Parts: sequence; C-alpha cells; structure tokens
Amino acid sequence: MGLANDLNFYLTLSGMLFAIGTFGFLARRNAISMLMSIELMLNAVNLAIVAFGAFIPSLQLDGAIIALMVMAVAAAEATVGLAIVIAIFRNRKTPLVDEYDAMRR
Amino acid sequence: MPNDILALGPFIAAVSVAIAVLLVDIAVPGRRGPVLVVSLGGLALVAALTLTTGQAVAGGDGTLRVLAFGGAYVVDGLTTFLDLIFVGIVAFTIVFAPDYLEARGLPLAEFAMVLLFAMTGAMLISGAGDLLVLFVALELMVLPGYMLAGYHKSDGYSTEGAIKYFLLGSFSSAIFLFGLAFTWGATGTTSIEGVSGALAAAVAGGGALAPALVLGLGFLTTGVAFKIAAVPFHYWTPDAYQGSPTPVTGYLSVGPKVGAFALILRLFVDALGPLRVDWLQVVIILAVFTMTLGNLVALTQSNVKRMLAYSSIAHTGYMLVGLAAFAAGRIEGLEGLLYYGAAYSVMNLGAFAVVAAIQRRAGVTSGLDTFAGLGRREPWLAILMTLFLLSLTGIPPTAGFFAKAYVILAAVQAGNAGYTAVGILAVIAVINAAAAAFYYLRVVVYMFMREPRSEDAAMAHGRLMWGGLVVASVLTVVLGLIPGPFLDIVGRAARAIGG
Repeated sequence: MGLANDLNFYLTLSGMLFAIGTFGFLARRNAISMLMSIELMLNAVNLAIVAFGAFIPSLQLDGAIIALMVMAVAAAEATVGLAIVIAIFRNRKTPLVDEYDAMRR
Repeated sequence: MPNDILALGPFIAAVSVAIAVLLVDIAVPGRRGPVLVVSLGGLALVAALTLTTGQAVAGGDGTLRVLAFGGAYVVDGLTTFLDLIFVGIVAFTIVFAPDYLEARGLPLAEFAMVLLFAMTGAMLISGAGDLLVLFVALELMVLPGYMLAGYHKSDGYSTEGAIKYFLLGSFSSAIFLFGLAFTWGATGTTSIEGVSGALAAAVAGGGALAPALVLGLGFLTTGVAFKIAAVPFHYWTPDAYQGSPTPVTGYLSVGPKVGAFALILRLFVDALGPLRVDWLQVVIILAVFTMTLGNLVALTQSNVKRMLAYSSIAHTGYMLVGLAAFAAGRIEGLEGLLYYGAAYSVMNLGAFAVVAAIQRRAGVTSGLDTFAGLGRREPWLAILMTLFLLSLTGIPPTAGFFAKAYVILAAVQAGNAGYTAVGILAVIAVINAAAAAFYYLRVVVYMFMREPRSEDAAMAHGRLMWGGLVVASVLTVVLGLIPGPFLDIVGRAARAIGG
C-alpha cells in the first residue's frame, strides 16, 4: 500500500531509470557500457508500459503485448550491436569509442 | 481475413523475395547471376503487386483508405507511392553494388538479402496504422541498415561507421519508444486514428494537454529528428556515410531517409494532425538549422562521400520546408515533399553510383583528388556525375530544380497566407540552395579542369552499372522536364492523408 499502489510512482521510477541510461550512454566511453545503457533505457520504457497496463484496466492486454514486442526488438538490437562491437574490436583492438576517430583526423 | 492478406500482399511478396535470395545462394553459392535475376525479378514482381493492390484495394484514385487487420495496416495512395519508391531505391542499389563488392571480395547474396529485409521494414512503415506497428517497422528498417554499414567487416572505416550508426540509432530508437509508451498511456490507444481522435478531443476541450502526453510527444519528435538526421541530431551521419561501403552509403542516404519521412507522414500528419499548429514551430526551427548547418559544413569537406553526407543533411532541411508549408495549410507542401523524396532518391543514388564506379579498384579513396581529370580519363562517367550534381544543386531542367521550386513555392504561398515564419523559411531555403552550388560545382571543376593523377587509369565497368546509370540519368531529366504525369501520382498520394 501507499507508494507502491500509485501509477505515478512507477512512472517516476521509469523516468529515473531512463535518465540513468541516457547519462550512461553519454558519459561512458566503452562501447559495451553504452550498449548496456541503451538496454537500461529500453527496460525503463518496459517498466512504464507494464505499469500503465497494471493500473489502467483497459490497457492491460495492450500493455502485455507491447512489453513482449519491446523485449523482442531489444534482443534483436543487442544481437546486431554485439556483432558490430566484435567486428570493430578485431580491427582496432579496443572497445573505447574515443579511439574510433580514423575519419575525423 | 482474405482481404487483409490481400492488402498485405506486396509486403509478403517482399519478404518472400528476400528469403528466395538466401535460398538461391545456398543452392548455387557465390554466383552473382542467379542472385541478380531473383532479386531484381522479385522486385519487379513486388512493384507490380504494389500497383495492382493499390488499385484493387484502395480504388482507382487512391484517395480511398482501406484498413486491414483491425486498422493496424493501411493501404491508400500514400502507401502505394512510398512502396514504389522503396522498391526503386533497393533495385538501383542492387544494380550499382556488384562491381564495388566484387573488387573487395564481398559477397553479393547477403548484401541483397539484408537490403531486401530493410525494404520490407520501410514498406511496413508506409502502411502502418498503429504506433506499435510503426515502431516494429522502424526497427525492421534500421537494423539491416546497421549490418550494411559494417558490411566490409575487415575494414576499419566500415566498422567504425557501423558502430557510430548503431549506437546513436538505437539510442534514438529508445527515445522514440519512451515517447510512444507515454503517448499510448496518456491517450489509451496505439491506433493512429485513435491517437488522432484523442488529441482532437483534447484540443477541442481547450486547456493544456496532460503532462504525460506532452512528455510523450516531445520524445517522439526527438526520436524522429534523429532518424531523419535533422540538426542538432545529425552527429552520426557523416561518419556512418563516409565509413560505409559506397553502394551502402548511397542506400543509407536515401532509403532510411525516405523511410523516416514516411514515419513523419504517418505519425505527425496522421496521428498528430490536430496539433499541427504546435509542431509547425518545431519543424520551422529544425528546417532552418538543418539546411544552414548542413550546407556550411559541406563547404569545407575534401572527401566527396563526406561532402554528400552533409549535403544530404541539407536536403533533409529542404524536405522539412515542404512539411512546414503543409502544416501551414498548403497541400502543395506535402506534394512537394513527396516529389522531393522521389527526385532526391534518383539523383543521390546516381551520384553515389558514380563514386562507387570510380572506386571499382579496391583501395581507391573517395577524396576530391580522385576526381581530378575524370573528364579526360572517363568522359561519360564525368558527364553523368555532372548531371547528378547539377540536379542536386537545383539547376533546370533537372528533377532537383523542380523539387526545390515546388517546396519553396508552397512555402511562399503559406507565407502570403499569413504564416510569415514559413515565408521567411522560403527565403532561407533559396539562399541555402545558392550556397550549395559552390561545393557541388567544385567537384565538376575538379573533374574537367584539373590534370589527372598519373596513377589513375580508366577502369572497365559492367553493363549492369552502365544500364543503371543511364536509367537514373534519364529519370533525373524526365522528372524535371515532363513532371506532369508524375505529379498526378504525387497529388493522389498527398490527398490520401492531407485531405
């Protein structure tokens, strides 16, 4: 009861997780960390979706379907992303995006 | 249900062609002939099916709208028009790619297959009637794009472009999704018609929109601005375009761009139509910065691929001018935007095809020096490149001129009708178009007025490459000289969503 029974509480938590993910994406320089930050952002969105579904009766079914879709898309994105990270790691021997600057020199 | 499947016919056919290409490569590995026959023949089939479906389902004039799968998929004049553009873009890309890929030992079959899957995503966007379908379609379009950018995986530039494209692309997808979740939560529906209805009711009721809805719409707009590479959300573009293999760059500069504009049409014009006055301001600001910064930075580039990347940012700005004119009540703005999308696709693909042709030998860079003396070395290639560059500049009688004139004229009309800001936007667009001539024509100067470097020799190009270049150049001229018949189709597509 109390806080845990309020939709706005979950939406605020989702917003905070999303903000942490955004900060991580902008502040970290390791490609893997940036990928993890994006996953955190997507999971924050999923939390918001599930919260909407749980608190608004008419959105319950929609919410479950959208959350499943988002998980599938996130998995596909992580697959492609990790493949690209492995490819560039073989070329450059570093996961730090700062050092991927061959075209800006 | 049979009608639903019929409406989705072109999309199903496109997926089948992509799978067929894969199967052909398993049956006869490493041969380029069968892959080309299946993919190009399949694309012709998809185009024919798109036309017949458009006519059968949505009626002859295309203004009728047919909802399939409970409204999740829409077939109208716009769907048909955009699908045909996407098929054309992918067909050109497959025609221009083999010479370049072969010289670098890259397989053609996987390239064609991934490209075809990207096309299915774009086709799904153009017919999306539901926000969730829109999101899945967007991902289906961009994920293959990331793979294509890193297609030359042993090359440091290609993978570097790919990782930048991927990181910023999925970052913007997450932002878009966040906006989608809150828009859905606040309006209670993912259907585009439902969102439009809820917004119309909120606007009619007066008062401020719910905070969650404002948050959602703001994030949706930001996500879309990333996807069309509008300034200040364009940082990924130059590196992704310069690093990618040249045929891929040609595709990335038009396919996902027109796809993102399809997303804008379905999302902003259709779903957010009731808030037109509000997003008009955002579009005007984005258009001014996008045109001006794209052109200014393009002026300083010495690599032709990078220069074309910045110029593609500027072209996004011109297309936004059309969108602004439409939001200010001129249907001509929407027609201009659609015409611009088609004309830009043809001329930009043509320009990148010439760059790819020059890089026929592995190791040739896309630096401006490579173009020195091309007029003497390979006169036909130089003449075609000049045509495409003149069209990109906007010199009559090319498609590029007509497209720019169309959107700018619509903006001027909106300016006369009381939307002063849109009128000023037209003036800024004209100034920008004039400034752009400088960097396009610099390439022409290099081609015809500089001595060729001694190490460059004329290269043999395949018949496929020449055929594609001839078709692209003929289209560039014909669309500019006799736009009449084409404008009918554009007008029909515009009326389908613009009323």
